[in-house]
This record gives sequence, C-alpha cells and structure tokens, in this order.
Amino acid sequence: MQENDPTYEEKLAAFEARIARGEKIEPGDWMPDAYRKQLIRMISQHAHSEVVGMLPEGAWITRAPNLRRKMVLLAKVQDEAGHGQYLYHAAETLGISREEMLDQLLSGKAKYASVFNYPTLNWADNAIIGWLVDGAAIKNQTMLARASYGPYSRAMVRICAEESFHMKQGKEMVILYAQGTPEQREMVQDALNRWWWPTLMMFGLPDGESHHSKQLMRWGVKTRSNDELRQEFVNEMVPEIHALGLSVPDPDLHYDVETGDWVYGPIDWDEFWRVVKGDGPCNAERMAARRQAHEDGAWVREAVQAYAEKAADSRAISREAGG
Amino acid sequence: MPADTQWPTFEVFQQDRPGRPHKNIGSVHAPDAEIALQNARDVFVRRPRCHSLWVVPATAILARTRQEIEAGILEPLRADPAGATETYLVFQKRNQRNAMEFVEHVGAVEAYTPEQALARAVDTFGLDSGWVWWVFPERAFARSAEEDIPSMFAPAETKTYKRPQEYRTLTMMKEVRRG
Repeated sequence: MQENDPTYEEKLAAFEARIARGEKIEPGDWMPDAYRKQLIRMISQHAHSEVVGMLPEGAWITRAPNLRRKMVLLAKVQDEAGHGQYLYHAAETLGISREEMLDQLLSGKAKYASVFNYPTLNWADNAIIGWLVDGAAIKNQTMLARASYGPYSRAMVRICAEESFHMKQGKEMVILYAQGTPEQREMVQDALNRWWWPTLMMFGLPDGESHHSKQLMRWGVKTRSNDELRQEFVNEMVPEIHALGLSVPDPDLHYDVETGDWVYGPIDWDEFWRVVKGDGPCNAERMAARRQAHEDGAWVREAVQAYAEKAADSRAISREAGG
Repeated sequence: MPADTQWPTFEVFQQDRPGRPHKNIGSVHAPDAEIALQNARDVFVRRPRCHSLWVVPATAILARTRQEIEAGILEPLRADPAGATETYLVFQKRNQRNAMEFVEHVGAVEAYTPEQALARAVDTFGLDSGWVWWVFPERAFARSAEEDIPSMFAPAETKTYKRPQEYRTLTMMKEVRRG
C-alpha cells in the first residue's frame, strides 16, 4: 500500500503542486495509486467506446447513398479504430496491457459509452450522430486534451484534430436534409428525436452525483464539470437546430434571459442506468458483433504471425550463409 | 481458437517533414519490425504529413523521467566493460506545459551500455534540458525508406474529404439564417 510509505504525504503534496503548476505527469513519475487507477478506468472505457462506436455507423457503409458519402463514412469509422488504438496505448503506459483491456471488453466486464447501445435506423442517423454525438464527444475531448497525464493529453489532441471532420460531415448532411423534401426533413427530425437524450447523457451524471469527478478535477484530469460541458453543448446546439427549422424533443426546453442558458428538462437517468447495466436496445447486439469481429480476425493474426516467423527463418538462413 | 497474442510493443516515431526531429507519437503491437512499421502507418498516418517512421522494440528503450534521474536511479558512469561502444540515440521531452510536446530525437552518444548512454546524454545536454529522457541503440530501430513515401504516406495527402475545412458548414448555416 502506497499510503504506508512514510513519505507518502510529502510525495502527494509534491505531485499536487506539479499539477497546480500545469506540469504534465509522465510514465515513470510518481503518482498516487488512485490517479493511476482512475486514469486506467477512464482511458480504457474511452478506448472501448471508440471501438464499439464503429458499429452503429459501420453497419451503413455498404448502404451509403453515393461514393463520396461512402468514402467519408469509411474514413470516419477507420479513424475510430485508430482512436481506440491511440487510447489503448495511452492506458498501457499506466501498466495495464492491451490484452487485458480487450479481454475486459469481450467478456462484457468493461463499460463503454452507453450512447452506442442505441440503433441506427436509417441514413439520417449517421448525419445526426456526426453532428450531435461527435459534437458532444469533441467537447469532452477538448477538455481532456488539457489533462495532466501526458500520454492521455497527447492522444486527445490527435483525436480532437481528426474528430472535427466527423462532426462537420454530419452537420453538412443535417443542413442538407433540413433543406430537402418533407420526407427528408421528417427523417432527420426523427433521428434527432431519438439521439438527443442519449447524447446529453454522454456528458455523464449531474455534478452532485458524479463520484469520480471531484478527484479527477483535483488532479487535473478533468478541468470542467459534466453539467458545465452539457450546458455549453445545449447552448450551442439549440439555436442551430431552431435555425434549421427542426425542433428539440424536450417540452421543458426554454431560454433563461438571466443566465443566457437554454434550460433543458429532466434527463431520464433511470434509462441511462438501464442501458449502462446492459439492458439497452443494442447492448447484446454490439457485444456479439465485437466478439464475432475478434473471432473473424483470428486468421489475420495467425497469418501475420506465420509471416513474421518465416521472415525470421529466412534472416537466420541468410546469416548462416554469411549473407 | 489460436492463442490470442498481442505481440511485443514497438514505440513509434514520426517525422513530419525532412529536417524535423522524429517524435514519439505512440506505440503498436506487432510480431516484428516490418509489420510494426505497417501497423504504425495504418494507426498513425491516416492524415498528412509524414515523411518518415521509425519503430523500436519497447524493450530496447531505456526511459527515465527527470524525477527518476533526480531520485538517483541513474547508474554512475563506469568505464568500459568488455566489448565496444555503440551509438545510442537520445530523445527528450523538453517542454512541460503544452499537450503537444513529444519525446523527440535530440542527438546521439557513444556508450557501452544503455545506462551509460543515459548518463552521457544527461552529461551532454544537462538534466534541466529534459523532463523525459529516452535512449536506445541505433541498431535497434527499423525505419521507413525514402521509396516508401509514395505508397505509405502520400495517399493521406489526397484524401481531402478528411479535412474539416472541406466542409462549408459555417457558410451553409449563415445562408440558412439569411433564408
């Protein structure tokens, strides 16, 4: 136990002073066990979310309406695979292996963003996911790019730079739908109605109920609260949604002249917990697809292994031959 | 099911343009250096620009933070054990405040062992010049070649639909508001 170390308090004070000075903590530096543990939890969940996040949109690649949209969606889903890898790498610097993390995901032990347990029912869902879900993710990730742990913040900066295209391709489609035929407007409104609340839940529990938040903010992992980010997102989105002639599926939504905030109605946290605990519309489907992909990829891993062994053999032979 | 190996870790270094230092951007798992380079390209070079990639087995790297060196982890400089010296590449993370400060290539030293290489590097560059220090023998790394650029790195430059500025959403929203 780290706390049994007689110099623990001194080390903790020095660590917190570094964070207060805005220094980055790097692998090898002293850090409290709880900081390491929280980061592993956060970063691995984040990585799993990128990996599972490929599935709702990935299902639409073969049904893209034209070649440009198909290339865009392919690139976006490919980015998410890459982002998962950046994040697994960042978590590995804290002493967990990628294998352990993948096991946790495939065995159903690990959590990932509950928003990906909702279905994508038509092409307009891809438009709304890009605009809302990626838009919300960028808010959170922009904050995390300033996180006190060096490898996490560096991964986040790369991710943010790549995500901004995800958001904009979605927004472009939403704008076009909103200016389209009555059927197209109806499609995009329907998608917005279904994704609005799951998107607001992405920011996490309200400030008073988020147990991890206080420590994460104290140690510079998070620099802004869940409610603060959620409100900022709503304030930015609502005027644009209205400008497009679309509506927000929230009868309580109103503008507060005093604060300048768009005040939203109650979020159904019971639904959130149901989905997190496995009872969402697509939890079982997502996990089955993930496991299937892992098993279907087994021959690739075998082939890569065989190729590397063959290459090693031929290097050995050429050395023996003095080549 | 075959054994689900995750393979050894290779640290990946990217050079954006000729003349810029190679910087550590993350790691990949692979059974050998050739496949590590391929994986590194797929994971890290989906966007421009990249001129060159290096991959190094993580086990070949001696990595220490300034804090660890100050705590006395560094072995004292010992004169030549058996064998000959070799060239070690030296990497540092020099700035502590910005998110985009990487562990990057700053030079080379001659040494008998990694520990000695690190001690020499600290001696040469000064402990205060780096927050993170890495050394590894020059022979340990594999690199992409000049002739790999067209196949490995150039395609990312042509995929303009990945650029946010390709999407005129700001202008489109302004037009919507004007009606």
